Amino acid sequence: MTLQRVFLRFSLLLAASCLLRIGQGSAQTTTHKPQSSKASSPSAEKTYSPELVQKGKALFRQDCSFCHGRDATGGESGPDLTRSKLVAADVKGDKIGPVVRNGRLDKGMPPFDRSDDQIAALVAFIHTQRNAMSAAGLRGQGGRKGVDPSDLQTGNAEAGRQYFNGAGGCANCHSPTGDLAGIASRHQGLELEELMLYPTHAKSKVEVTLSSGQTLNGTLAYLDEFTIGLVDADGVYHSWRTADVHYKVDEAVNAHVDLFSKYTDDDIHNLMAYLQTLR
Amino acid sequence: MKLVRSIFLIAASAVAAVGFAPSLPAQVDDQVLVHPPANSWPGYHGDYSGRRHSSLTQIAPENVKNLSLAWAFQSNQTSLIKSSPLLADGILYFTVPENVWAVDARSGHQIWHYRHPRSSGEHIGHRGVAMYKGFLYFVTPDAHLVSLNAKDGTVRWNVEVADVNKGYWTSMAPLVVRNHVLVGVSGDFDNLNGYIRSIDAESGATQWQWDSTPPAGTPNQTTGGMTWMTGTYDPDLNLVYWGTGNPTPVLNGSTRPGDDLYTCSIVALNPDTGKLAWAFQVSPHDTHDWDAVETPVLVDADFHGEPKKMLMQTSRNGYFFVLDRTNGKNLLTVPYGPVNWALGVDKQGRPIPNPAKEPAPDGRIIAPDEGGLTNYRSPSFDTKNGLFIVDAHPSWSIYFAKPADGVYGWAGADYDVWGKGVLEAIDYQTGTIRWSHELGPEGSGAGVLTTDSGLTFTGDAMGNFLAIDSSNGKTLWHAGSGSVIVSSPTAYELDGRQYVLTSSGSVLFAWALPEK
Repeated sequence: MTLQRVFLRFSLLLAASCLLRIGQGSAQTTTHKPQSSKASSPSAEKTYSPELVQKGKALFRQDCSFCHGRDATGGESGPDLTRSKLVAADVKGDKIGPVVRNGRLDKGMPPFDRSDDQIAALVAFIHTQRNAMSAAGLRGQGGRKGVDPSDLQTGNAEAGRQYFNGAGGCANCHSPTGDLAGIASRHQGLELEELMLYPTHAKSKVEVTLSSGQTLNGTLAYLDEFTIGLVDADGVYHSWRTADVHYKVDEAVNAHVDLFSKYTDDDIHNLMAYLQTLR
Repeated sequence: MKLVRSIFLIAASAVAAVGFAPSLPAQVDDQVLVHPPANSWPGYHGDYSGRRHSSLTQIAPENVKNLSLAWAFQSNQTSLIKSSPLLADGILYFTVPENVWAVDARSGHQIWHYRHPRSSGEHIGHRGVAMYKGFLYFVTPDAHLVSLNAKDGTVRWNVEVADVNKGYWTSMAPLVVRNHVLVGVSGDFDNLNGYIRSIDAESGATQWQWDSTPPAGTPNQTTGGMTWMTGTYDPDLNLVYWGTGNPTPVLNGSTRPGDDLYTCSIVALNPDTGKLAWAFQVSPHDTHDWDAVETPVLVDADFHGEPKKMLMQTSRNGYFFVLDRTNGKNLLTVPYGPVNWALGVDKQGRPIPNPAKEPAPDGRIIAPDEGGLTNYRSPSFDTKNGLFIVDAHPSWSIYFAKPADGVYGWAGADYDVWGKGVLEAIDYQTGTIRWSHELGPEGSGAGVLTTDSGLTFTGDAMGNFLAIDSSNGKTLWHAGSGSVIVSSPTAYELDGRQYVLTSSGSVLFAWALPEK
């Protein structure tokens, strides 16, 4: 059965990459040979030997599939790699390789000490999956599924606008003509909804007062019970023992946390509808 | 280099053999398992109770500020250590997927290292070994149980527990009860039935199997109920307590109407027969991946003035449960953090799932997130203060499922939105949180150990090991570990010296007071 699945996937992949090549070829001006268009486009149409893909699949199954799904389309916690921007931009493992070897500890991904050959096999498998899945609109079997922008259109924009300006308190910090102007052109679908619910990458400002009375301001770079670190306006990192200083972290982003227990699902869908009008 | 290492190993083993031979006590036997001496940690939880509480008092609130590194052991692997090292006869045995080490508990030097041939199956984590009469029991990513000779790490036998090609894998530390080696299985990406298998400690033969769900393909019945964490055992009642995992398909419950027994349940089994004595379901008809495999902690104490044999669990679904473990009757059900998926609690003490909070095509906001309000990391019951201490994860997420996602495996999508770590000390009689201690953004993967001297050991989200005053939650000692902590601490005493063992990343750390 597994073998059959491999063959099935491989033939799908071939079909998919043929379609892609035709599509891209017709978009190209005729001065380029098909070969050179292949080189100029990062990953979309490169094909790999079945042996390499099979080897990558086996490695992927052992170390990656719990989080990213057996088909690389998403598992228990990791993102769908077939829709990943990083994978799309990867050329011969130049983006994927470092992530595998260094991990992303801040996101819970451990590093994997893998040889060049193993990385090449993983890259072949991931790109093969990306080509097959995205071109044919397929979803992997068993793993986590995806969310399309069309799934997130059930709200009422006017109700969302009222919530934004009223009960939600969003207008206390945000403005549709200021920081959110054009937000729906920059972010779409699930990515926009996730940013709306909690802007993970928002930087907190911090003010640290030393025992001398001197005050320093900057972007919070590190904080635990024992140490506080900031990056100042010149980009220089400073740190102190928390016991030795007073500090005040700008916690505006916590307004998002306060909303979680107040939102109805309709509030979220309406707000999402409203934000999508800000193009 | 390999040769050099082998020579070193031979030399090391020779030294070890000379050092230990004269005073060798009995290896892990029934007596040690029921009443572990201070110089042992004979199973995943230490003793059978799952309390992860040490009676040792040398390291105390007054002197813990002097705690220092006795030794560190570098596994030189990229896999994170999730196992609890087992300790017997002065030797620690611990694991990452496909690797077992025997390490001298006094010095941290390696005695042997067993590397299993690279196998298929998930290599997501490994919780450690079990031991009985000089032999170790070790599960593999391709769902085999391997018995190793504890002396030298040589393979005694290897039996299949589940079919990796169907989508099963194994990662748990087996539980030994007499000659029964109890093993559980994992597998959420396929519609498979979960089970616990009892394997003969000597021969490797299957003694019995208890199925948590009907065979795959039974109409209108659930699959799932994976048994991927180590249970606990009450020798007096002769009952084993085990948590079962979520149903499958995971996020879509349409093909499995009803409660989906026995998924997301705590079950009591007779270890000699595998017969079910009772079951309590903590999440009827789960659609959020909230396995109920968190440690079923066994406590004998007063409950509102009456002496009770209790079982307590801080469950992944966000509720703290206290049960009478003689019959499975519920004594207390109360949330220990934000939960928004239940309409209330039914007469049996089970949360009532709100159908409006099942995953939907346009998303539902849910607390806690898929990782849950806690997870496999161990809690601890502090017998002195009557506190159930857990590394909690207040969190919010969005859950999606639509017909196009099908009814196989995950069958939907969910995304964590926000979370943090908080150490909570829960009064077991009321569920009141007596004190809490912030552990940092996203949350911490560290388990908890308490000691009779009044200390709580755990770790924060930034990778600091922490020693905390169990009576009030104040930090008394810390050390930055340099990586993430995804394991639970243990403690032991050797040569009159108390050690606390923690791990972070791929390194094991032994802490002790300075030698006199």
